Amino acid sequence: MAKALELLGLSKAFDGNRVLHLASLEIEWGEVHALLGENGAGKSTIMNIANGVYAADAGEIRVDGRKVDISGPSDATSLGLGMVHQHFKLVKRFSVAENILLSCRRQLSITSVGEAALAVAAKGAEVGFPVKPDAVVGELSIAEQQRVEILKVLLLGAKIVILDEPTAVLTEEESGSVLSFVRNLALHGHAVVLITHKLREVIGYSDRVTVMRYGKTVLKGATANEQTAESLAMHMVGEHMPEIKPLKRQPGEERLVVERLSVSCLNGGVGVNQVNLSVRSGEILGIAGVGGNGQQELMDCLTGLRACSEGIIRLNGRNVTFASVAIRRNGGLRAIPSDRFGSGLVGNMPVFENLGMTRTTSGHYGRGIFFSRARMRQEAEKALAEYGILGATPITPTRLLSGGNAQKLLLARELEEGASILVAHSPTRGLDVRACNAVHTTIRDAVERGAACLLISEDLEEILGLSTRVAVMSHGRIVGEFSVGEATREVIGKLMLGHA
Amino acid sequence: MLENVVLTRRHYVPWRLRVRNFTGGIASGLVIAFAILVAAGVSPGAIVNEFIVQVFLNSRGLAQTVTTATPLIMVGLGAAAALKLRFWNIGVGGQVWLGALGSTWIAINDIGPPEMRLPLMLAVSVVAGSAWIAIPVFFKLRYGVNEIIMTLLLEYIAFRLVQHLVFGPWQDPNTSFPVSEHLDSIERLGRLGWGNAHSGIWIALGAGVLMWLLMERSRFGYYAEAIGLNPVTAKGTGLPVTLTIVLAVLLSGGLAGLAGGTIVAGAEYRLTQFLGQGYTFSAIVIAFIARFRPIPIVITAFVIAGIFTAGETLKVFYSLSEAIVILIESVILFSVLVSEFFSSFRIRVLKTAPAK
Repeated sequence: MAKALELLGLSKAFDGNRVLHLASLEIEWGEVHALLGENGAGKSTIMNIANGVYAADAGEIRVDGRKVDISGPSDATSLGLGMVHQHFKLVKRFSVAENILLSCRRQLSITSVGEAALAVAAKGAEVGFPVKPDAVVGELSIAEQQRVEILKVLLLGAKIVILDEPTAVLTEEESGSVLSFVRNLALHGHAVVLITHKLREVIGYSDRVTVMRYGKTVLKGATANEQTAESLAMHMVGEHMPEIKPLKRQPGEERLVVERLSVSCLNGGVGVNQVNLSVRSGEILGIAGVGGNGQQELMDCLTGLRACSEGIIRLNGRNVTFASVAIRRNGGLRAIPSDRFGSGLVGNMPVFENLGMTRTTSGHYGRGIFFSRARMRQEAEKALAEYGILGATPITPTRLLSGGNAQKLLLARELEEGASILVAHSPTRGLDVRACNAVHTTIRDAVERGAACLLISEDLEEILGLSTRVAVMSHGRIVGEFSVGEATREVIGKLMLGHA
Repeated sequence: MLENVVLTRRHYVPWRLRVRNFTGGIASGLVIAFAILVAAGVSPGAIVNEFIVQVFLNSRGLAQTVTTATPLIMVGLGAAAALKLRFWNIGVGGQVWLGALGSTWIAINDIGPPEMRLPLMLAVSVVAGSAWIAIPVFFKLRYGVNEIIMTLLLEYIAFRLVQHLVFGPWQDPNTSFPVSEHLDSIERLGRLGWGNAHSGIWIALGAGVLMWLLMERSRFGYYAEAIGLNPVTAKGTGLPVTLTIVLAVLLSGGLAGLAGGTIVAGAEYRLTQFLGQGYTFSAIVIAFIARFRPIPIVITAFVIAGIFTAGETLKVFYSLSEAIVILIESVILFSVLVSEFFSSFRIRVLKTAPAK
């Protein structure tokens, strides 16, 4: 039997930067094939070539054994290829049926919303993945929107389904559901490509795995259950990652104390409700929880960007409940926001101006009207070396940095002298293994030197791997607190979903 | 069609490229303007004479360009100071009117000792312009009122206020025209003895240098840059966001007011019915073309003043309609703005079309 999809010796360069070099991938019918690799390894590029979004500079594509030319997404569709992107291509204000009508009217030869509704309902029932055809897409949960996107691809006649990091935006429970659905698709003869960087998904849900690194295929079509997390990580990164050492330091004095803190929320979110927290020097308190359960409000209230409606915040013993951002920073409070380019860095400023931002207000570069950019640049040079920010100079525009480098830059700025408590929100979101490791090591080292850290994250691995204590947040409340030894995935998972 | 043409956003835009595209934009605008004028019946030789010789090579034309550029530099700098911080001041003309009104008030009431009269007039024009923009900045920061609407409408109010004064209490008793009394000689900015050019140009250039120091060398300018590019980050890193916005916006109004003051004291010698008109549009165009940077603003203001001068001479000597003059000015400005596109993007033509 011919293979479903063969990508042979593909090469591609953008603006002279080689992103794919003779990369290959072979997918069989009826299998879930995991495509694993760090950010920038070329996973998305190779699948975008298969999907006709980019044209390869060299190489060949075979679908079901036949050599094909794919010059656009519509060619890919007619060959039975369909891709579910990370960012859904749905009109949020339209209903499910209207979206289906919009994208599939030609393939299904339908002309009315009613017909579209029937088609999507029938397909949903057929594959055991029901959706409500008249629901407005914008009002559906992310997981439900993803279902619509998957059904759309199936309605377009896709036999080879490519999913780009489908679980990146889902909770544990939802991830399980979509992954078993994917297995089911393969069982019915589809070929499924699962782009991911989560090792557990590879071992638990895939038949075979291909690993890419720096635009090349380094492991091709290996049987997934013969792999271990270590062997896969080794292939992905090309070296062994140092383990994060457990903290040696004993907890010291209280750095951050939060009592009965409540934050009201204007936009229909849950806000923060009567939260009590205490973080000591030498401690990392992890706040686990599904996104949107008050974490952002808690973070903004601690850093001073949002006022609380009730409660007290103490920083190193000092009441800062009503203090400005600047006063809190001077008191040692530093923050790593979840959206590093949106609220941590200024993308259109050079690296050194981002690094020196907080020190300019403190007068470090001059107290008068003018300040010394030259000195700022020299210090940036040092910080770049110290934090291992490779490939950037002080004058590089910050927006050109990779996610990992941007995060290291943010850490370098926030951990400058006087940092005694670090509030970090999803500090490794979207980062590759290597950068993740570097960020965790940096945070750990800062805590080992005597800082305290409040780590807010939706990634349970990160919470369990780094924290000394774990608190679980649900509906704006702290619903459980554990020392790291007694916390299990199951208990925390249930608390996160409010089932306990 | 155009399938193998690819646009890529440039990561760096070298300044040489920017200068090249800017001059290229003006040149192509002039070529189109040339075609329009020929079609309108002006002989090609005369156009070259008007545009190149009369405006830039002839002393009288150059003097006229410098005179026109004087307020344009100040309103351009003023517009940029607010726009850079995303405070959309689109009522620059209103602040110009208030500046003109303030300096006239000092002059016709003979307030202050004679030797201090002129500095006082200019100082009051700055204060009046700032005060006029203080209204929208207060309402924006305190109540979240949209500054675009407020600055725009306040310009109409300022215009009506001036009309009221020149038709009413401030009307020159010696004439029936809607103008104020002539300024005394001590209340006038000195002429340079070169056309109508007056010492206001030194004030404008001085403002350019000061704004350069302030926006590109000082801590204030650095904060302004960060706040304009990403206000959320600026707030989160503890920069004095509100203070910086307030100061920059007051500065914006003050510079526009100063422009109004110098028009009264240097060019018109009295408050007239239309002296502040059209400055909002020019100020915003200048600020955007120069990307809010002071030195390029000064240069751009001169270029635009040149275009205006040429338009005026064409109107007078070739009896072209106002519409044609506005049309060619717009074509040239439009070409300059379009040339920005070629700075931001690289256009590549692929040798082989994507495989079919």
